[in-house]
Amino acid sequence: MSDAGNKTILQLRNLRKSYPSIDGDPLEVIRLRQFDLGASEQIVLVGQSGSGKSTLLNLIAGILLPDEGEILVNGTNPTQLSEAARDRFRAANIGYVFQSFNLLQGFTALENVLLGQMFGSGNGGTDRAAQLLNNVGLGHRLHHKPRALSVGEQQRVAIARALVNAPPLVLADEPTGSLDSKNGAAVLELLRRICAEGNHALLLVTHDPQVMSSFEKVVRLEDLQ
Amino acid sequence: MNLVKIVIKNMRQRALATWLTGASVMLGVALAVAILLIKQGVQQRFEQGTLGYEMVVGAKGSPLQLVLNTVYNLDISPGNISWKLFEQLRDDKRVKLAVPFSVGDNYKGFRIVGTTDAFFKDFEFEPGRKPELASGRVFNFSEDALKSAFREAEERAREREARERGEEVKPAPEPEHVEHPFEAVIGSTVAEQTGLTNGEKFIAAHGVQPSAEAKEHTENPWTVVGILQPTHTAVDRAIYINLDSFYHIEGHELRAPGGQAKEEKPAAEEKDNDPDPGQVSSIVLKLRSPITAFGLYREINDREDAQAAFPAAEIRKLFDIVGNIDKLLLAQAILILVVGGVAIAVSIYNSMSERRREIAILRALGARRETIFAIVLLEAVTICLFGAAAGLVGGHVVVAMANGALYKASGFVIPAFHIQPLEWYVLGVAVILGAVSGLGPALGAYRTDVAKNLAPTS
Repeated sequence: MSDAGNKTILQLRNLRKSYPSIDGDPLEVIRLRQFDLGASEQIVLVGQSGSGKSTLLNLIAGILLPDEGEILVNGTNPTQLSEAARDRFRAANIGYVFQSFNLLQGFTALENVLLGQMFGSGNGGTDRAAQLLNNVGLGHRLHHKPRALSVGEQQRVAIARALVNAPPLVLADEPTGSLDSKNGAAVLELLRRICAEGNHALLLVTHDPQVMSSFEKVVRLEDLQ
Repeated sequence: MNLVKIVIKNMRQRALATWLTGASVMLGVALAVAILLIKQGVQQRFEQGTLGYEMVVGAKGSPLQLVLNTVYNLDISPGNISWKLFEQLRDDKRVKLAVPFSVGDNYKGFRIVGTTDAFFKDFEFEPGRKPELASGRVFNFSEDALKSAFREAEERAREREARERGEEVKPAPEPEHVEHPFEAVIGSTVAEQTGLTNGEKFIAAHGVQPSAEAKEHTENPWTVVGILQPTHTAVDRAIYINLDSFYHIEGHELRAPGGQAKEEKPAAEEKDNDPDPGQVSSIVLKLRSPITAFGLYREINDREDAQAAFPAAEIRKLFDIVGNIDKLLLAQAILILVVGGVAIAVSIYNSMSERRREIAILRALGARRETIFAIVLLEAVTICLFGAAAGLVGGHVVVAMANGALYKASGFVIPAFHIQPLEWYVLGVAVILGAVSGLGPALGAYRTDVAKNLAPTS
């Protein structure tokens, strides 16, 4: 679905992923023919619960490996890299925002963002991490631990962490799923704005109609099969 | 942000578990260090204490008992030997110096040792170190007075035994004049702990150990005439008196060599055959040459009434025996250390369910499996290392604290803050222990399923 003339940041071709079921037969959770995402493009991918949305994001991030098919992120097929190289590639090229924030509880907001930087480019240091937190409205909460932050604030920290290495691709897995509608709308607006400003492509998966409605491009997972 | 910061954060996040597991390692190391320090310190002090005592001669019995009694003022005397043997040894060409000692009384638990002024003038308790006065003077010694005292003591023994048989007892002749009776030179610890000063008198009690039933020699108070400088040896804990005064005291009758009461003989025969009936508890010898030592040692041990012992050899034997107990204690300390290592492994294992999510997050952020493995391993090693370091300090502090009691009991202290080379190995062992105990949890962390553990928990 990339715009013509726009560089494609993500290409998925003939992707399949199965898990062994209880009775031993493989249970196919992903069957996808083709999907493209252009640089700076923002697409929402929708599907029912259990339709494999999170699995797809984990495949793109190189956390899971497909049974078949090809994944190209920024021109590189991460599945062909060694595990260590794939980890480095993920840190440098993919920002990941989770439904349940996944912040480390023992670390402050600033430290959580710095953790993202540590495994990625390492560029910018504390100044960039603080600047990003300032951009998401948490300049006054740098040294607060997650427990001292509201859920909305926690998700903003997670957004700052996802962007700290300036990745060309941001994956967001139900980023508003743990937030109330007001906080959800605010976080979504923030995520989209920051990705647009930084030219980060955004692939967001959700089953929330309200989220879908705020995107120009909505793709249904079942339409990709 | 770096690995060490992550490890420290993890440890602080589980502060209680970190402290408790670190404390168990600390206890093991502190115990091991304290045992090593005390063992080495005591052995060193004991071995140092034998330096001036080349050979000790005493009654037949345990040579270790003889050495402990003569050199360290510990244990009881195995018995008496004759003054004549002392004279023979003193006049032996192979002997450079012979100093006699007689024990039998105490003052407030401090042993009273009868000796001659040679102990102060010629005897070096360590090479180049003689007992030196801090104040006052030493007592003067006269061999004539001593022999007179011997005869007096023998007469008293004869009277006592006659009384026991129900025979009529003739009054003892007036004792010959003794010029310097009942004077004492006290060790520095005695002065410090009893508060005795020059010119003060004290009453000795019979026996080398304090006892409620012990008879006090109230008729013979001693006067302190000198106080010795600290030597950090058993000398500090002794009260030295003139040997002739010792035998003036009621109850210090002569006994047959080996501790038995001296056999009764007709007075005339005694006078004819035994003009010097004296006895002493032991004799310390300094030899002219170490080459002749073994020959003299054999000659003395061939006698029926005496034995010779090399203090250094006896103390080595003692520590060979004590060394086995040390090994048991060390084994116990190592077991505590191992328990500490197991506690670390269990603690990290127990926290793995919550850690798996954190590990998955770190992996999602780009951390390699090896990095995760290193973080968990480093945490276990760090806990062990900090525990061991605290244990090293703790062990030294324990010894420093125990030094007060040790000084009171033995008169010497152990250099508590002298670091033993072995302690660096303890730190090395702690690192290995940490690595071994962290290996299992680290492998578990290494294998963490990222996708499964990233899923929302609610």
